[in-house]
Amino acid sequence: MGATHSIVDAKRSSPSPGGDPTGRQPASTAALLGPHAPSFAAVVVLQVVGAVAGLAPLFAVIELGRALVSPGPVDTERVWTAVALGATGLFVRLVFTGASSGLGHVLDGRVQLSLRRALARSLGQAPIGWLARRRSGELARVVGDDVAAVHPFIAHAPGELVSAFVVPLVSLAYLLTVDWRLTLITLIPVALALAHVPLLMTAARTREQRDFDAAMGRIATSVVEFVQGIAVVKAFGGAERAHHRFRTAADEFVDIFTHWVRGVSAVAAGMQLALSPPFVLLVVLTGGTMRITSGDLVPVDLLPFLLLGLGLTAPVAALGHGFDDMQAAGRAVGRIREVLGVGVLPQPACPAIPRDNRVELRDVRFGYDDGPEVLRGIDLTLEPGTLTAVVGPSGSGKSTLGQLLPRFFDPTHGSVRLGGVDLRDIDARELYRRVSFVLQDVRLLRASVADNIALAVPHATAEQITRAARLAHIHDRILALPNGYETVLGQDATLSGGEAQRIAIARALAADPPVLVLDEATAFADPRTDQAVRQTLSTLRDRTVLVIAHRLETVADADQVVLLENGVVAARGRPTDLLARDGTFAAFWRTRQEDLSR
Amino acid sequence: MISLLLRVLGDEYATPMRRTVALMTVTAVLEGLLYALLVPVLRALFGDNPSDAGPWLIAFAVSVAAYAALRYTSDLSGMRVGTTMLRGMYHGLGEHLARLPVGWYDAARVGEVSVLASRGLLTAMGVSAHLLGPFISACVTPLTIVAVIAVFNWQLGLAALVAAPLVVLTQRWTARLMTANDADHAARDHEASARVIEYLQAQPVLRAGGRGGERFALLDDALRDVERAARRQTISVLPAVVGLTLTVQAVFTALLVLGSHLALGGDIGSAEILAVLVLAARAADPLLSLSDTGGKLRAARAELARLDTVLRTEPLPEPDRPVRPRRFDLEFDAVTFRHGDRTVLDGVSLSVPQGQRMAVVGPSGAGKSTLLQLIARFYDVESGAVRVGGVDVRRIDPGVLLAQIAIVFQDVYLFDGTIEENVRLGRPDAGDAEVRAAATAARLDEVVERLPGGWGANVGEGGASLSGGERQRVSIARALLRDAPIVLLDEVTSALDPVNEAAVHEGIERLMPGRTVIMVTHRMRTVRRADRVVFLDDGRVVEEGSHEELLRRGGRYADFWSLSTASGVPGAAPSPRRASDGEGA
Repeated sequence: MGATHSIVDAKRSSPSPGGDPTGRQPASTAALLGPHAPSFAAVVVLQVVGAVAGLAPLFAVIELGRALVSPGPVDTERVWTAVALGATGLFVRLVFTGASSGLGHVLDGRVQLSLRRALARSLGQAPIGWLARRRSGELARVVGDDVAAVHPFIAHAPGELVSAFVVPLVSLAYLLTVDWRLTLITLIPVALALAHVPLLMTAARTREQRDFDAAMGRIATSVVEFVQGIAVVKAFGGAERAHHRFRTAADEFVDIFTHWVRGVSAVAAGMQLALSPPFVLLVVLTGGTMRITSGDLVPVDLLPFLLLGLGLTAPVAALGHGFDDMQAAGRAVGRIREVLGVGVLPQPACPAIPRDNRVELRDVRFGYDDGPEVLRGIDLTLEPGTLTAVVGPSGSGKSTLGQLLPRFFDPTHGSVRLGGVDLRDIDARELYRRVSFVLQDVRLLRASVADNIALAVPHATAEQITRAARLAHIHDRILALPNGYETVLGQDATLSGGEAQRIAIARALAADPPVLVLDEATAFADPRTDQAVRQTLSTLRDRTVLVIAHRLETVADADQVVLLENGVVAARGRPTDLLARDGTFAAFWRTRQEDLSR
Repeated sequence: MISLLLRVLGDEYATPMRRTVALMTVTAVLEGLLYALLVPVLRALFGDNPSDAGPWLIAFAVSVAAYAALRYTSDLSGMRVGTTMLRGMYHGLGEHLARLPVGWYDAARVGEVSVLASRGLLTAMGVSAHLLGPFISACVTPLTIVAVIAVFNWQLGLAALVAAPLVVLTQRWTARLMTANDADHAARDHEASARVIEYLQAQPVLRAGGRGGERFALLDDALRDVERAARRQTISVLPAVVGLTLTVQAVFTALLVLGSHLALGGDIGSAEILAVLVLAARAADPLLSLSDTGGKLRAARAELARLDTVLRTEPLPEPDRPVRPRRFDLEFDAVTFRHGDRTVLDGVSLSVPQGQRMAVVGPSGAGKSTLLQLIARFYDVESGAVRVGGVDVRRIDPGVLLAQIAIVFQDVYLFDGTIEENVRLGRPDAGDAEVRAAATAARLDEVVERLPGGWGANVGEGGASLSGGERQRVSIARALLRDAPIVLLDEVTSALDPVNEAAVHEGIERLMPGRTVIMVTHRMRTVRRADRVVFLDDGRVVEEGSHEELLRRGGRYADFWSLSTASGVPGAAPSPRRASDGEGA
């Protein structure tokens, strides 16, 4: 599901680099990179030494020229010294750039690993509410693709950029000593190329870039729509429509793209031309010939310009070269920093221990971010040893209510108390030890069945695990799997939806919590799972249980029923009492009743 | 590479593509040739009369002008072909996607196809616009230069030519190493990505065990594997990358040594040898950039190959002479269907007379939904036949077949548009009154009332602003509007809260009369209204008969229900909890 939307979201959610929407201090990527600084320095130094050494053969040719052209007999020794120098330079270059590249990539791997670990740590502490509002696929992209996109920043950029400037500077310094006028002439192509740059950055170009991004986003959306709705599309003959939409989005995108390319490509092609070796050589030769015929330049001094002059264009080329990659990397870093900067739910300074397992909600209000309030003043007490069933139409705030107990969110107003203590004053571990939950959405890990059941109780014994599995009516099914409890789910075997739900129930039972929140919402896929749920509820009779109920049976068995409507408690009481009143509850109760009576 | 590109593109783009490649090649050759003029220019400048260089210099300037014109044209041509191709590829991909069977689209496809349609196509286009030019020039120009050198001095030319096979070999070698490693790397990345998603989704549970902050071993192992794979890749590819540099540098050194030797021996003039060395430097630079360009081309190639795979997936065959069914009874005749290596349906035979209702019951994974999908021909059977009105579905025109069927799924996807637009999908030419009537019958009017914006309210991508039950009401309205003789219901009411369930049920009741219905369900209430019940397990029909018959028989079916009626249901045995509640309901 997440990956489905990743492209759209990447477009929508890419903040400007350095942007920090959480408002906390920006998590410093520099701090993460700090320990690697010496390695970075080594990469850069090796690269620069290698690149500068790469000039040696060119100097050797220049020296050879001087030796050959100088009047009198040729100084053989000078020639061979020059050749040896050139060969040595090449060898040094080979070794140093090779070492730099190797080290750079190894370093890159290490930095990526530490970034990913930091991200995992950050995600492991982010408020569940924050995670819930993001698509897992999108976050996985930050950990995966975005970290990988930093690659050019780490493995290539430092060394290549530094040498793209150092090497031309060395050449430039040398050329200036030979003939400063011809040096200036040699720089003409560079100046011409640079003159193109403002043309690439006009307001119109920026606007086109924005249009481009937007059109790209539309394509991604229409593809997702096309593919996700394909069954409907086919079944209801909507293929034309969805296909048409995709085509329109694609055509529009290509138009914008073509327009953009047309604007940019002429300029880019002009720039490429100015930097192309034939043009640079033409400029150097023309300038050189003028200087030589006027007698201001010794012919052989033209040689350095022919050989080194081309290298002067390197910085401009380097700027254009990795520019897209670098921009992408910048955007990726922005997203990484956003995740690293996510706050953890504040933990109490001096945690209090709850007296018992009574849960109280006092005037609880809650809204997601800037959205409308989902819960609007809930007062509710869950006595230990009772089962409270929450019912209500979809969108009434039932699930949100359930999620406040394990503190996935903190209420925006009022308080949730456990054993007389505000959840915010309870140590996270203590809270989770006491409050367990079975969510709508069952997620099994690609790990052994035993690990899956013991997820919340890492040191559970085999007996505990089997007991929980038996209670959840899944023990026999597990024994039928290829490796029993050691079967790796999703790899050795796949479970059906109902079976997965039973594993989730076993999980909650293994944790053996005094307070349990159970969300029945998802189709409990088969009667067997229904029974497991019911058995679980009766097993836990001495606990404090809150059920987001969807099945009439659960409601009938509850000690207390709470009917939630539009974020407020519309009715509450024992099921029988509620029925006596002729309200909404009685209305949908009757609907079900008719169906169940034979 | 080019052939793969051309195959992905289709024939119509082959000609402009070939023309662009030709133009780029000519440009690259011209670049190599014009360097030859360096020799006479330098000879004149180093000679007694430097002004003799003038005419040669003019010739050089003219060649550069010609080169500039060609290069500019070929750059723009590359861009133009690229954008034209992009449009063609979008259209081709769209048409192809629309023709692929529904069964092809599983959960993973959505992500895959989205990536292909955005990044994939752009990469493919980038080959023509950005990569092909530099690549051709990096190959052709040095070769031309070597030829030029050979013209001036055959020994030096021969020495330079040695580089050619070596460069080709190292490039091949690098490509092989890279491909092997890329696959490994991609697999690790994929694994890590899956682990991250898992880790995120398991957060609530992990935290319940107080494990939120700690390193999660499964994920950490995957991340370390990615790093190790990256390191292995670096180390194994490094020799090949260094190999290219080494080759180019060794040959340059050889030219330097040989040139010096020849010059000292007087076999070649100073100007010539210097010009040759300048030329050699010109040949070396693009060759060194070859590893970079080559890497990018390989990346693009991988993307193209994925595109190619999708484009070469065959849609379900369409009949040459389609037959129109005249009746609407349904029949499965010894149907076997496999998905991957799992047998989903194993020799299933059953039939539903026209106008009757059949309920399909069974544990999850029994193949119930597949049964419905085979009627709508989302897949084709492996053996046996599915018939509508006695006609094999493979002999019916797919459009005609689907026009006879209304499907209501458990999970309903709505298009980003208004409720009305989504209902109207059922029959685009329906009048407003008909649309409203269908909506009312499906109790969609209640939903519309609740929504700000009413009928004109946008339902969001996938129908996100509606709840599951509300989306189902839309899909029932759609089906009602469609008025098709065959109705397929897939676990329609299993995921609903009581209010929505009542509404949906009412809609279904209105939908079923007079039509042939197959419904997959595990709600007793629905099953009891069926004429026949089939109990499916593990892809086989285990029991078949009316609800009452099957209950009396006391087999699997009766077992199945006894589970869910054992307790908690009024009139059945009291549950432990209800005992303490006194009266209960």
